[in-house]
Amino acid sequence: MVANSHNNSAKEIVQVTSSRYRCAVAAAVISAVFCVVVCAFMFMNHGRSKMVGTAEETTLADLRLEIRSDPDNEQLLSRIRQFDMQVRQQRIRAIDRARKGSYLLLGSVVVLIISLRLAISFKTKSPSPEPGTDQLIEQVKKAKFARWAVTSGLLILALGSLFLATRPEIDFAKASAADTASFNMEDVAKNWASFRGPNGAGISTHTNVPTRWNGKTSEGILWKTQVPLPGNNSPVVWGDRVFLSGADPNNRQVFCFDTSSGGLLWKGDVLGLPKGNEEPLEMMEETGFAAPTVATDGRRVYAIFPTGDIGCFDFKGKKVWEKNLGRPDSAYGYSSSLAMYQNLLLIQYDQGGVEDGISELIAIDGFSGRIVWQTKRPVGNSWSSPVVVNIGEQFQLLTCADPWVIAYNPAELDDIRRKIIQYQIELEALKKESDEASKERLINTEKQLDELKQQDTELWRANCLTGDIASSPIYANGLVFVIEPYSKLVAIKADGKGDVTETHIAWVSEEGGPDICSPISNGESIFLLATEGLLECYNVSDGKRLWEKDLEEYFMASPSLVGNKLYLLSDKGIMFIAEVGSEYKELAKCELGEKCHASPAFADGRIYIRGVDNLYCIGSSN
Amino acid sequence: MRPLRNILLGLAVSLILSGATTGVERFPPPDFTETDHVIPSPTSPGPRQDVYEYIDAVVLLVALGLASYLVLKKRNRRAILTLTVFSLLYFGFWRKGCVCSIGALQNIVFSIFDPDYAVPIVVVVFFLLPLIFTLFFGRTFCAAVCPLGAIQDLVLARPVSVPVWAENGLRLLAYVYLALAVLFAATGSAFVICRYDPFISIFRLSGSLNILILGGCLLLIGMFVGRPYCRFLCPYGVILRQLSRLSKWRVTITPDECIQCRLCEDSCPFGAIRKPAVQWPAQEYYVAKKRLALLLLLLPVLVFFGGWAGSGLKGVTSKAHETVRLAEQIYLEETGQTEEVTDASTGFRATGQQIKELYEQASNIRAKFEFGGWILGGFIGLVIGLKLIGLSVWRQRTDYETDRAGCLACGRCYKYCPREHVRLKKMKEVAGKW
Repeated sequence: MVANSHNNSAKEIVQVTSSRYRCAVAAAVISAVFCVVVCAFMFMNHGRSKMVGTAEETTLADLRLEIRSDPDNEQLLSRIRQFDMQVRQQRIRAIDRARKGSYLLLGSVVVLIISLRLAISFKTKSPSPEPGTDQLIEQVKKAKFARWAVTSGLLILALGSLFLATRPEIDFAKASAADTASFNMEDVAKNWASFRGPNGAGISTHTNVPTRWNGKTSEGILWKTQVPLPGNNSPVVWGDRVFLSGADPNNRQVFCFDTSSGGLLWKGDVLGLPKGNEEPLEMMEETGFAAPTVATDGRRVYAIFPTGDIGCFDFKGKKVWEKNLGRPDSAYGYSSSLAMYQNLLLIQYDQGGVEDGISELIAIDGFSGRIVWQTKRPVGNSWSSPVVVNIGEQFQLLTCADPWVIAYNPAELDDIRRKIIQYQIELEALKKESDEASKERLINTEKQLDELKQQDTELWRANCLTGDIASSPIYANGLVFVIEPYSKLVAIKADGKGDVTETHIAWVSEEGGPDICSPISNGESIFLLATEGLLECYNVSDGKRLWEKDLEEYFMASPSLVGNKLYLLSDKGIMFIAEVGSEYKELAKCELGEKCHASPAFADGRIYIRGVDNLYCIGSSN
Repeated sequence: MRPLRNILLGLAVSLILSGATTGVERFPPPDFTETDHVIPSPTSPGPRQDVYEYIDAVVLLVALGLASYLVLKKRNRRAILTLTVFSLLYFGFWRKGCVCSIGALQNIVFSIFDPDYAVPIVVVVFFLLPLIFTLFFGRTFCAAVCPLGAIQDLVLARPVSVPVWAENGLRLLAYVYLALAVLFAATGSAFVICRYDPFISIFRLSGSLNILILGGCLLLIGMFVGRPYCRFLCPYGVILRQLSRLSKWRVTITPDECIQCRLCEDSCPFGAIRKPAVQWPAQEYYVAKKRLALLLLLLPVLVFFGGWAGSGLKGVTSKAHETVRLAEQIYLEETGQTEEVTDASTGFRATGQQIKELYEQASNIRAKFEFGGWILGGFIGLVIGLKLIGLSVWRQRTDYETDRAGCLACGRCYKYCPREHVRLKKMKEVAGKW
């Protein structure tokens, strides 16, 4: 009886335990399934919330672009608000779902763990150690394997360290000594980084440039690609990229083409801020809406337009910054190209009359777009471009307008740029402080900043020009050459200080001068090309005219020099190739078959020519 | 390396300066009275009032005391489990896993090497209290107070035994992790313990998906392998292991004498029970003696080559510092090896700072990593050498004992011991041997 009673009790216990076990397992399975389902929903929710560029966001981005040109459009504003609300609601709902899901998941995981542990506890067996194993031998063996495991760990660590330690690392000491500036003159010389290339001289450092091509038969034409918007600016080449800008009354864009195929890699809009009640800009047809040539430092490309808008893009087409300097007051439309020194973007912003006193030289930090320095120029509006030239061991920024030719020190500008940025950052921080000591520091810093901004960086100036100056200066053989249209060619010694009008003008030739094209020189002779087609050659040392030749074509592009060959691109797209010598000797005439106003750019074995509609790459496929 | 007095001086200064950590809001945010808009907190978890931090310290003290009592005196697994759940809820979910004792290690190290950093007193308390309790009572902090250990302990469902060789090999990871965490904290580069805390996303119910997946994987493993993070990764656990070897009181499986019934052999899910070893294995004696001598001679060699290898890793380890990363990015941009720019490089260029200065700073930081690498590598070499020596030394043992360093004081082994049942009067004492 007693035994039966014990057996019955044991059976009951087993049954109860078994049913509890089944309950626990069922709860575990249900909660596990619930966990998986919740996880799946949360992953989906996470994936959807990570998606960018949904239809609503794309529409919103487009609307935001549209509102810039029509800021008072109430209907547009209302749509923007509506789509913005939709996008925000989507995001907030996703966050809310994630939060609720995480609570559900936590709860279900807790239930899962509790039910699993209960289930396992119902099935846990009592310990029953195996008899008769030799503990000593077993422990010795385990220790041996453990030693091998630790030794293997040591070997893995050693091999891993060896692999990681032998990877190349940057030597900062060497880098510091090498002074790797982004504006590396060797790189600049290899590329055509701004208007008329290195030093703004129009001289190609590559001599393996084509001398024969025909646009009609496509002989010698590697590729030809349409430029989306018109412009008279010249191509700029860096590595495997060619840059142009184009504009019409409503659009301003920068284009990047692939040098190997001519394919348009990207185009960037320089829209500018809404102008409010400003009247639409009217430009002379000859100037166009995109006359200034872009500039690049090998990392970014910069463009300026006659509206005063400046845009900066990286080489992938991402806009880095954009700003507006105010519409310049320029009689024929602003057309001065950009110049660069180190990280500085240099803008000759001549406008109005001399007496108006509103012309400026502006220096902008290329990386941030901050104006770091600007100075008034005692000149009227001009259409020439500033050039940065290497004279001896110093760089000079040469500018010319009516009446002054002024040279600045760009290295000092760069130094001022650094200090100004640091002061500006300090000022921003001090403005947030309210104690007396900070207020005093603020006043002192502002004073130091003003002094710095007014710091004179002029090297020399010469009063020698009048009229509408459009030709840019060049430097050759110790002399800076500038042109007064239809009037004279002036040679100024470049080693002066202060006002050198009376002391450093080497010679003046009053045989006339071009009104648009900039001169070119090989150091011995200097060549002037008039719009009407008259090519003149002067002696650099004394300004004596050596010869002249009427090419009977119109020219708006400035002449270029490749080795001892002159390249002269006419308005009709005909390239006259002539040998430099004691007289004019034509070597070739190559027709493009399209009108051209912009100066060409030269690269290794290639010439890039912008026609009014297309960009051409002249070269050999070899 | 700073002498000991500098370290003590640094700690003392930290304690004093931590009083200066109370800040006032200098730029109060705008008041949205019309719309009742609530400005979301920019930090997670948000800053707490000072008084709560002191409450947390008191709770930690009480929890440690209670854990020690429950483990050593009461020997009650259920009570330990209850405290574990409380610790998980309080230190894990309520305080969102911050400040924790494991991460506090980095704050202390950083404050020693950076005189401008004042470590809060609460952080010092969170770092020191568990160490002090471990020194006296063993790893009672790990038993029922550490939230990371608590969450792993609770998911442990069906423990499998990890082979001894794997246990010893994997445990090296914790030493490497500790060395790297100290190096990065000392150089002001990163708090990697916090950054890669695997359970923080679970405690905060938000955060990096990668960390959430890491935590999930560790918990999944933890269902079968007991406390994988604590045993193989926890850098604070490395310190606790060493202090636990010296502890005055410690967990014993039996409340009084061991009767070698062998019932507790497989009771520990963490492999922390040492079986008796009464005899020196005679056939191994000569070989073991030679091996031990060789390892002792090899120890300084391991330390030296470890240090040398560690110093050689300066190029890799220094990348953890943002200045070095920035300098490398700037260098790549300057030399045209990349066309991509980063926010950091753009921001740097906007400051107008000379690139040469940046390179010099990066160079100096790398030199610190080279020096730190010597110490890191030497430490790892020392650890490996001592481990090999430890595995070559035979310790005599008559009873079933807990491993002084490895025992996490969870109390699971108590119920397997018949002497414990006698103590609890669940069983009558039987005269004679079992």
